[in-house]
Amino acid sequence: MRAPLKGKFRTQFLLPAGLLSVAAMASLAVFFPGAGAGASGHADASQVSTNAKDVLKACGTVNTKGVSPTPNSGNPFTSTNLICHGGNLIAYGNHAITYANPPASYIAAGRDLFATTCSSCHGNTANGTMIVNGKTEATIGPNLQGVGAATVDFWVSSGRMPATDVKAVEAERRPTRLTPQQALEIAAWVNSLDPAVPAVPYPHLNGANQSVGADLFSLNCAACHTITGSGDALAYGTNAPSLQNKQVTSQQVVEAIRTGPANMPRFSGNLSDAQVRDITSYVTGRLQHPTNPGGFDLGGVGPVAEGFVALLIGVGGLALVAFWIGDRS
Amino acid sequence: MSDADHQPSRTRVPMPIAALSDPHMSDAARHPKRAEGVIAIVLFASMVLFAIAGAAYWQNWSPWVFGGALGGGMFALGFGLTAWGKYLMPQGPFVEERHTLAGTDEERDALSAALYERTTVVVKRRKLLGGMFAGGAGLFGIVALFPLIRSLGPLPKNELDVSNWKAGTVLVDSNGRPIRRETLQAGGIMTVYPRNQKIVKDGEVTFTQQGLATDQTVLIRLSDGPLPQPTMPGREGWAPDGYVAYSKVCTHLGCPVGLYERELEVLVCPCHQSMFNVRDGAVPQFGPAPRPLPQLPLGYNDQGYLIATAPYDQALGPAFFERTT
Repeated sequence: MRAPLKGKFRTQFLLPAGLLSVAAMASLAVFFPGAGAGASGHADASQVSTNAKDVLKACGTVNTKGVSPTPNSGNPFTSTNLICHGGNLIAYGNHAITYANPPASYIAAGRDLFATTCSSCHGNTANGTMIVNGKTEATIGPNLQGVGAATVDFWVSSGRMPATDVKAVEAERRPTRLTPQQALEIAAWVNSLDPAVPAVPYPHLNGANQSVGADLFSLNCAACHTITGSGDALAYGTNAPSLQNKQVTSQQVVEAIRTGPANMPRFSGNLSDAQVRDITSYVTGRLQHPTNPGGFDLGGVGPVAEGFVALLIGVGGLALVAFWIGDRS
Repeated sequence: MSDADHQPSRTRVPMPIAALSDPHMSDAARHPKRAEGVIAIVLFASMVLFAIAGAAYWQNWSPWVFGGALGGGMFALGFGLTAWGKYLMPQGPFVEERHTLAGTDEERDALSAALYERTTVVVKRRKLLGGMFAGGAGLFGIVALFPLIRSLGPLPKNELDVSNWKAGTVLVDSNGRPIRRETLQAGGIMTVYPRNQKIVKDGEVTFTQQGLATDQTVLIRLSDGPLPQPTMPGREGWAPDGYVAYSKVCTHLGCPVGLYERELEVLVCPCHQSMFNVRDGAVPQFGPAPRPLPQLPLGYNDQGYLIATAPYDQALGPAFFERTT
């Protein structure tokens, strides 16, 4: 019984896994040209630093105002893999998450896309637009300069932007109108206006611990998103969206945790990159693919739905059976 | 009392003798043959389903197959049995005669007289014994109240008014790590606990890294710099570098107030939707909470860790009778 399983394991798991890892290495090299250069030592301006001042010196004008400098928590300070090239921050991070800015070649295309799809609300230079009505001012589109590439990528890649209804309380997740590539292009251009962090994250989920992630999820996320991740209503017409949606990618989960979109808090120094990676692994793993050993999960929204079904179908069915038994034929 | 006393009230009724020719004994169903066929099919289905359940258990099939077959088999068995009783049993109506339940007047009078004779007259002859018995039973009743009262627990004294947060208590996260100035960015939130608390309970001294459940506190960073104005008049200097800390225990019914909305700067209680604006002293804006969340004054110690500069100035959590603050 064991030997064939072993063979099966080798052919059906190890071989594809090996091929996948080779493909992943290749794609990484394509994504981060600086990473390969840094590793091989050919890049002239690449350097690894643990000092915040050196980081700023090597990476040019990265706006790090208000960024938590706690080590390995989504910032370039004391980052174990820091890559700067030509005075630009290319990538940083560690074994858990690599943060990388989109390549500079994306900027031109991003400028055009921004002008056609975003500028009517966010302004031609992404510094936001206001409407003045008498004495009150209302923001139509907020200032995007200095928010970092991850913020822009999250809003565009999740379909929340471009918004359909600018007066809506919240921009809900929708099918995307722009491709992931186009989202990165827009992020590249916006970030080039005032370079900032966090950069776009690439989590390495293969070493993640889903069990630890579940604990951290219940501690930090479940208050609003509920323990099953089905989402819940909040104050003033806002809501915490469902995370059970399988369209939610691991990259978007990390982006949301690190940037705090809209009303979501921003988690920085209190969650390390490894912890964020664990949470992400749990969300895109067990939470999005529950096993439901008890049968139907009924949306996973808790005892109200379960009690409703039990009362309506269970007690109602019992009542009908009792009527049938007691009825004279 | 003899058997003869009962005779007048007991009427004997002859047992009805069942006869299949009696119209009362005919089947209830209009077409008994058809009903019998249907019931036979249902009962046979239960046999098949039970066999499937057995095979599923034996062969370790999907729990859906096992549960479905077992449940279906039981349903078919019960349905068949009920239908048999309902459609293929005599339909009646049957009447069972019985004697009258009430006794005669003479019987009642005799009982009253006997009771009076045996209690009042006979017992009152021994007044001393009666008094002693009443004393014993009464004392037992009073003593039995002791454990009942004790089971209500010790008096709370001032336990509900004080928490484990003292002046100088270091804030730690769920792993016991202290919080530094740079831990949170503006818009961040975390739950913090008092570090290294000495808990004295029933004379036993224990040290806890995280205090008690009621000590849970939410730490929120509202801005990178100091707040333009204190969260409430008289709370100047409570929020260094934009950090504010509020008790996580709702003042309504004690739920954990952990839902934080960054842009609205509102804490929401998940149980009854009380909303607290954290920039304005967590005064309830909506919902049943009667009081603001208590705020913890913050500062730094010489190691740069966030500490409480003073205990909470009021009792935490929901109201109680002796609440004074």
